Amino acid sequence: MNTAQLRERMQAVEARDLLRHPVVLSLLVLVALFAAGNVAAPGFASFGSLTNVLRIAAFLGVIAAGQTIVILGGGEGIDLSVGKIATFSTVIVAQVSQGQDERLLLAIVTAFAYCGLIGLGNGIGVAYLRIPPLVMTLGMVGVVTGIIRVYSGGQPEGRAPAMLSALVNGTTVGGIRGSVWIWLVVAVFTIWLLRGTTFGRRVYALGANRRAAELSGINLQRNLVLLYVASSLYAALGGMLLLGFAGAASINLADQYQLISIAAVVIGGTTLAGGVGGYLGTAVGAVVLQTMRNLLIVLDIPAAGRQVVNGIILIVLLSLYGRQRRLRQ
Amino acid sequence: MAFLAMRGVDKRFGGVIALRDASLHAERGEVHGLLGANGSGKSTLNKILTGVVAPDRVDITIDGRPAAISGPHDAHGHGVAAVYQELSLIPDLSVTANLVLASEDARLGFLRRRADRERAAEVLGRFAAAFPGGNLPLDVPIGNLSPGEQQVVEIAKAVARRPNILVLDEATASLYSAQVEVVFEVVRELKAAGTLVIFPSHRLGEIFELCDRATVLRNGELAGEVTLADTSESELVELMVGSLARPAGRGHQVATQERAARLEVSGLATDRLRDIDLSVRAGEVVGLGGLAGQGQSELLNALFGSTRVRQGTMEVDGRPELPRHPKRAVTAGLALVPGDRTREGLLPVRPILENLTVPSLRRRSRFGVLSHEREREAARSAAEQLQIKYGSLDDGVMTLSGGNQQKVVVGKWLLTEPSVVLLDDPTKGIDVRAKQELYELITALTTDGVAVLLNSSDDDELLGLSHRILVFFEGRIVAELTGDGLTAERLVAAALQVASA
Repeated sequence: MNTAQLRERMQAVEARDLLRHPVVLSLLVLVALFAAGNVAAPGFASFGSLTNVLRIAAFLGVIAAGQTIVILGGGEGIDLSVGKIATFSTVIVAQVSQGQDERLLLAIVTAFAYCGLIGLGNGIGVAYLRIPPLVMTLGMVGVVTGIIRVYSGGQPEGRAPAMLSALVNGTTVGGIRGSVWIWLVVAVFTIWLLRGTTFGRRVYALGANRRAAELSGINLQRNLVLLYVASSLYAALGGMLLLGFAGAASINLADQYQLISIAAVVIGGTTLAGGVGGYLGTAVGAVVLQTMRNLLIVLDIPAAGRQVVNGIILIVLLSLYGRQRRLRQ
Repeated sequence: MAFLAMRGVDKRFGGVIALRDASLHAERGEVHGLLGANGSGKSTLNKILTGVVAPDRVDITIDGRPAAISGPHDAHGHGVAAVYQELSLIPDLSVTANLVLASEDARLGFLRRRADRERAAEVLGRFAAAFPGGNLPLDVPIGNLSPGEQQVVEIAKAVARRPNILVLDEATASLYSAQVEVVFEVVRELKAAGTLVIFPSHRLGEIFELCDRATVLRNGELAGEVTLADTSESELVELMVGSLARPAGRGHQVATQERAARLEVSGLATDRLRDIDLSVRAGEVVGLGGLAGQGQSELLNALFGSTRVRQGTMEVDGRPELPRHPKRAVTAGLALVPGDRTREGLLPVRPILENLTVPSLRRRSRFGVLSHEREREAARSAAEQLQIKYGSLDDGVMTLSGGNQQKVVVGKWLLTEPSVVLLDDPTKGIDVRAKQELYELITALTTDGVAVLLNSSDDDELLGLSHRILVFFEGRIVAELTGDGLTAERLVAAALQVASA
C-alpha cells in the first residue's frame, strides 16, 4: 500500500471513529432535534430560539459540571445531592443579601462556604467512612432538606439582588443573555481543570483504575474528598444563577437538577464507570436536554407525555453508546 | 497395566508450554506424590485429571478402560474427587448443608434434615479429632470455622463421595500439624480400602511420610518416577531441578558490597510476614525466591505501604520511613511494579501518555497546572528508553501488546527517579524480547545506583539477575543465597526446606 492510499484509509478510519464519538453523536442528535422542531414549528431553529435554549441550559450546564467530575472519578461515584445543594445556595443568597446589591458578595461567599462544607461531608463519608456514593449523597439530600427548613423557617425570605438578576438576565450583543457568557467561562475553566491540571489527571486516573492510581502515588482519599467539594461548589454556583433568573428563592427551586444533571453527563458520553469522557460532552448534553424540553412544549405534549418521551430518548441514546463501545473492543 | 494411566499429556497456554508428553501411572491402594518446582506443570497435570483444565492431547485410562474427561462432571463420573487449596464451600451455609449440598436427602421435594445431619455426622466423624474437643461443628456456618477446619470439611466432602481416585492438591497447606495427622490417618485408611490418593505437595517431609511412589515433573516433562523408600531428599531435588548447566548469575560480583545501603528493613511483620530483616545496597539486585506465594509479593506491598505493617522499621537512604500508604512511599523514593498488570498497574481506558506520567505529575507542573510540553517530552523519553513500540502517545494503552504494556508500567517509574525499585514478577506473561529489554533496564537501573528488590516466579530469571537471593517460606526468610550458592539446586532445596542438596 502506498502512502496516499494509506493516508486515505487512515482518514476513512478517523472519520468513522469521529462519527462514533459520543460528543459528535449528541451534536448530531441536537441538530436533528432543531430540524424536527423547525418542521413542527417554523422558527424553532432560529437564532433567537437557540440563544434562549442556551440561556436556560446554562443552569443545568453549570450544575452538571460538578456531576461530571464526580462521575469521571469512578468507583460508582455519583452526586445525588447537587439539586438540593443548588437549592440551598438560592436560599442562602436570597436570605443573606435581602435583595440588596451591597450584600451580594457576602451572600455569595456564604453560599459557597456552606455548600462547600456539605460537599466536604459527602467527600468524607465516601472517602473515609467508605459509604457508597449513592447512599451518602442521597442521605445528604435529606440532611440538606432539613437544614433548609430550619435555615429558612420553611419560607425563604429575601430575593435576588438587582445586580445578580442583571448579570444573569442582562442582554448583550445579539440578544445573548448574561447566563450564557457565565456558562462559557465555567465551561472553559472546567475543561482546563480536567485537561490541564494535575487534579484533572488524577480524576481520570482514579476513574480508570482506582487501585493502579493509588499504587502510582495518588492520595486516594484526599482526591475523593476534592471531587465532592468541587461538585458542591459548582452546584452552589448553579443555584446562584438560577436565583438570578427566578428572582426569588423557594425550598425546592433547583431540586429537579438532581437527576437531569446525571442525564446530561451520560448523554455527553461520560461513562458511569468513570475514567472516560469530559465536560464538552456534558455541555452538549445539557443543551440537548433543554432543546428536547422546548421541542415537546412546542409540540404541545402534556407534562406527563413529555417525561415519557424524555425517558425514551435517553434510553435510545444510551443504547447507541453502548453499541459503539462494544464494537470497539 | 496401571489402575490410572495418563500418557502423552500436552498442554500449551498461548505460547507457553505447560506440559509436553508428560505421563503419570499409579495403582489402587497407593498414595502417589506429585512433585515439581515452580512452573513444572504439576498443577496443570492434576487439573487435567480432575477436568478443570482441558488438555491439547491426553490419553487417560482408568482401570483399563479409556476415560474421556472434558469437565469436572466427567471426572466425577469416573470416580475422581479433588480437594483444592481454594475452597468450594459456601460460607453462609452450615457444615451439614455444605456436606450434603446437591445430594440432599429429599422425599417428594421435601428435605429430610435429620437424615442429612446423620449422613454429615458420619462423613465428618472420621475427622473428629481435627476439631476442638472432637466436637463436630455440624450446625455452624462454614464461614465461622478457622481456615484449617474449613479445609478439613472440604476434604471430608471429597471423601464422602467414595472416590476411586482422590486428588489432594496442597490440601495440607492451611492445616495445623494435629489436623495434618488426622487427615493422614484417613488417607491411610482410604489407601487400605483400595483408593488411589494423588498427593501433589511442596512439603517433602509429608511426601516421604505419606507416599509410596511419586512422579516428578520438570519443565512440563516427566523427570522420573520413584519409589520413595529407595530415594533420598537430595535425589528428589536433583530430579526436580535437573543437572542443566545454568548461566552464572551475579553472585560473583562483589563490587556492590562497598556501597551504601539504600533500603534497610528490620523486624518487619504483617498479617502474613514475620521477622523480615533485609538490606539492599545501591546498585544491587536482591531476589526474593521460594515457592510461589510464600510472602514475596506481600513484602513488596508492605514496603510500598499498600499492605498494613504490624511492626518493624525501615530506612530509605538512611531516613526512617515506614510508609502508611503508597503516596508516602513514592515521595520517599520507592517505586512498585505490581504483580497484576491490568488490575494494579494500568489505567486501561486512558492514553499511553497519561499512564506514563501519573506518578510524576508534580514534577511537571506548577501550582497544579500541567506543562503539556514537558509532560509529553518526559513520556517520550521514558518510552524511548524502554523501546516501547507505539503509534502515538495519545493511543489507548490497551492497544499495546502485553510486553509493551508492562514496559509502560515500569516506565512510569523511571520518571520519578526512584532510589529503590520493587519489582513483583515483572516479566510474567510477556514475550521473550520484551523480557530481554526489561532485563537490560534492570541492569541500567543498577548502574545508576538504584537498589532493586525482585520477586519472580521464574527461578532462572531470579538466578540470572540477582546478586543475592532471599528465600521465603511461609512468610519468613529461611535462607540467603550468595556467591557460589546461587544455584538452581540450592534455590529449590532452600525453597522446599531441605537441609542440604
